[in-house]
Amino acid sequence: MAQLQAEVLVIGGGATGAGVAWDAALRGFDVVLVERGDLAEGTSGRFHGLLHSGGRYVVKDPVAAEECVVENAILRRVIPDCIEDTGGLFVTTPDDDPAYGDRFLAGCRATGLPAEEIDVADALRLEPRLNPQIRRAFTVPDASIDAWKTVWSLTRGAAAHGARILTYHRVIDLHRSNGAVTGARLRNELTGEELDVEAGFVLNASGAWAAQILHMAGIEDVGVVPGKGIMIAMNHRLVNTVVNRCTMPADGDILVPIRTVSVIGTTDIRSADPDEIPVTQAEVDQMLDDGERLVPGFREARALRVWAGVRPLFQDAKIAAVTDTRDVSRTHAVVDHRVRDGVDGLLTMSGGKLTTLRLMAQDLVDAMCAQLGSERPCRTAEERPPGNEEPEHYRLGSRLGRREETLQDEQLICECELIGRNRLEEAMRTRGTINLDDIRRVLRLGMGPCQGGFCIYRATGILHSVDRLDGAQAAGSLRMFLQERWKGVWPILYGDQLRQARLDDWIFQGLLDVEHLP
Amino acid sequence: MSHHDVVVVGTGLAGLTAAVRLAESGARVLVVAKGVGATHLSGGTIDVLGYAPERVERPREALAGLPPEHPYALVGADGIAAAIGWFKERFAAGSLAPYAYSGDVEENVLLPSAIGVARPTAVVPETMAAGDLRRDEPICVVGFRTLKDFHSALLADELGRAGLTARATELELVPEGRRDANSLGLARGLDDPAFRGQVVAQLGSRLRAGERVAFPAVLGIADPHGVWAALEHALGRSVFEVTTLPPSVPGMRVFAVLREALRRAGGTVLLNNVVTGAERSDGRVSALRTRVGLREERRGADWVVLATGGFAAGGIELDSRWTARETALGLPVAGVPGTGEERFRPGYFDDHPIGRAGVAVDRELRPVDAAGERVLENVLVAGATLAGAEPWREKSGDGISLATGYRAAELVLAASRTVVATGRAD
Repeated sequence: MAQLQAEVLVIGGGATGAGVAWDAALRGFDVVLVERGDLAEGTSGRFHGLLHSGGRYVVKDPVAAEECVVENAILRRVIPDCIEDTGGLFVTTPDDDPAYGDRFLAGCRATGLPAEEIDVADALRLEPRLNPQIRRAFTVPDASIDAWKTVWSLTRGAAAHGARILTYHRVIDLHRSNGAVTGARLRNELTGEELDVEAGFVLNASGAWAAQILHMAGIEDVGVVPGKGIMIAMNHRLVNTVVNRCTMPADGDILVPIRTVSVIGTTDIRSADPDEIPVTQAEVDQMLDDGERLVPGFREARALRVWAGVRPLFQDAKIAAVTDTRDVSRTHAVVDHRVRDGVDGLLTMSGGKLTTLRLMAQDLVDAMCAQLGSERPCRTAEERPPGNEEPEHYRLGSRLGRREETLQDEQLICECELIGRNRLEEAMRTRGTINLDDIRRVLRLGMGPCQGGFCIYRATGILHSVDRLDGAQAAGSLRMFLQERWKGVWPILYGDQLRQARLDDWIFQGLLDVEHLP
Repeated sequence: MSHHDVVVVGTGLAGLTAAVRLAESGARVLVVAKGVGATHLSGGTIDVLGYAPERVERPREALAGLPPEHPYALVGADGIAAAIGWFKERFAAGSLAPYAYSGDVEENVLLPSAIGVARPTAVVPETMAAGDLRRDEPICVVGFRTLKDFHSALLADELGRAGLTARATELELVPEGRRDANSLGLARGLDDPAFRGQVVAQLGSRLRAGERVAFPAVLGIADPHGVWAALEHALGRSVFEVTTLPPSVPGMRVFAVLREALRRAGGTVLLNNVVTGAERSDGRVSALRTRVGLREERRGADWVVLATGGFAAGGIELDSRWTARETALGLPVAGVPGTGEERFRPGYFDDHPIGRAGVAVDRELRPVDAAGERVLENVLVAGATLAGAEPWREKSGDGISLATGYRAAELVLAASRTVVATGRAD
């Protein structure tokens, strides 16, 4: 059996794990990161894309708000290309108590959040589709953040500092010796091969799946509760500024413009299994009604995709006794298994949010350094990971600008997301994947308005022609893509999205007859 | 307000078929539509019934097994056969003649799809007929690097997996100086003898004895028969086309031939006319309201043939509260699951409860309500607007459109012979 050695084994390839790998690698640790699927395939790739200003938490959870204020500013500096500087608005809809606005402003002042009340007329000039009945409006430095770009950038940065990133490797067991975790057994999910990683320390950054990992170390009753939230991407930028309802955090109160879409979210429903998070019709209807409150006519706009993410909510009775008060706020907590369970060499990150991923990573690696008695200062507040060398933020239209430069020389494979053939072939080579769904996450292939109707046959043909797939794999990959896509569209098939889906049925079933591929 | 014997709504295969059939019989016909119809998307073959749900070899026999609410049950195998016969005659005497169709309702052929599935279909253009996969002659699939909507190596590989002998080759030719060509761009290129010469020159030495040659369906838009025959001659072997992703060149040929036939018969097509409603009295429509840009117009008609398509074409819509609507006349829509009922299943290839939704009609193609009562006397519904079929699964789309469009015309002619005669005498 293959063997790997590492100083630090990071479990989980989402934002937290990527942040931890980047942080630890920058501090000079020899890191292996394992992820059971593709990078950011879990919670990180399934969120609304909001880089919090902190405004959402200023009343309910000032500690979380302060963290957001600080981290928002740091991330804008170190990963500018992953962030679009949309700005944010908090608005008081007719269903919200206008008095909350005063508490909101006071909370912003107390937490150092630069918020400002503006005239409703100005807010409507800024965002003409907003509900004209809003009664108050406040500006905040919200932004949208591309989670996939962020995770790839961090993992590429980690790899540049020697980290090994193993995707499609599932942890199937944790090795223990003398009351300490000493490594893990992994299974390559593509080949079925197993390998052992011997590690000086294991950092569990598996989010909502943390309890499953800890179970392998014989640790039970850790209060990680998967909390399901659904989000719907609308096919347009209904707003160009992040819009929040100015009220205590609730469901369906955020609308985030990100790339070419706007995402409404979210709900919060306890879920027993983080891998079983179906979207229900009632949840979709609730989101659409919530959207109407912010943007009248929301129901007539085209919905593009719906998905559910699963938060790693953390409620652990044992923890309160062993960590400082900051960590027991709703933000995030480092679970010290030496103290909690008498198990050495293992720390778990629990709770948290994407906006504070850098701080979470710092806290986790700091805690590890403390246990190891090693003084290595965190550098992630200053270092920029790859792709973020320029200080400018991402702008909507960047891709179109790049595309126009090569318009005459290159085939456009995906017209919706402006993906050229060279870029597609490069992604296929560098990612070493045979999976159209992975390509989708890397390039956003098939995520635009046509939902893969045109580009997916092309991409299958190109994957085949660059020798990454044989005929059977091509058929399998295409079928899998269609099923994955269907999961994200069938609960929202009405209006133009149903029309598009039916056109795609004509292409895939009517013309190509894919259902009868051998 | 204009007035016509018949106003046909929609320029897909159903609408054009009804319009041409009526115009050629002397009716004054106006076709109004938002834009060109699904001909540009469909493969250009007339699929009668490919799966039911097993692959169908003899459509006429399989038709007998369809449920009574299926559109074919209203037309019958003989009605379908009559429509096919008529369609083939239109091409034999059409503007692209001698470009012709072959096949009938008795037997399906198996043509490769662009991804190499042996796809059953009934009536095919001459430029595709040699692709019948029931023949075991080996195939060389020719692709163009510039055409992203057709992948020859993938097609050949999938055919190989299905037990056929096939291989692929790709040509590095750039029609019209565009590296990113679609099927129409290549078809225009192949209409040009010089470009065709380059194709033959690059290809000739790559072919092996006994091979037939598959091309993407781009063998000419102006003169498909000429292009195809010239290639067969120059390459000295059978040549056939394989459907690409849309836009479909063979589908455009269908549109061109039928539209020209309509023009010759005195009919008119007005695009950018969206039907927004109708004036009605005593269970009849007397005029349609159409929106032309920002202007609204009225189009008087004795008869209306509604062929606006289904969900894909916008003939039927479903709103976010899951209420379905026929968009032109507000006809009742059948087959839509009620509130709280399942509309779609979680598996893409599953049978979806909403799949057969559409406008239900009686045996004379008049729209009916939930109780089966006729709602309008002088409106006939044809094509993908009809309830009861899942054409993309059954591979029955063009067959339903052709047969019901043709039947709608026959019904109007039968019911209005005197009216038409009077109209012509004016």
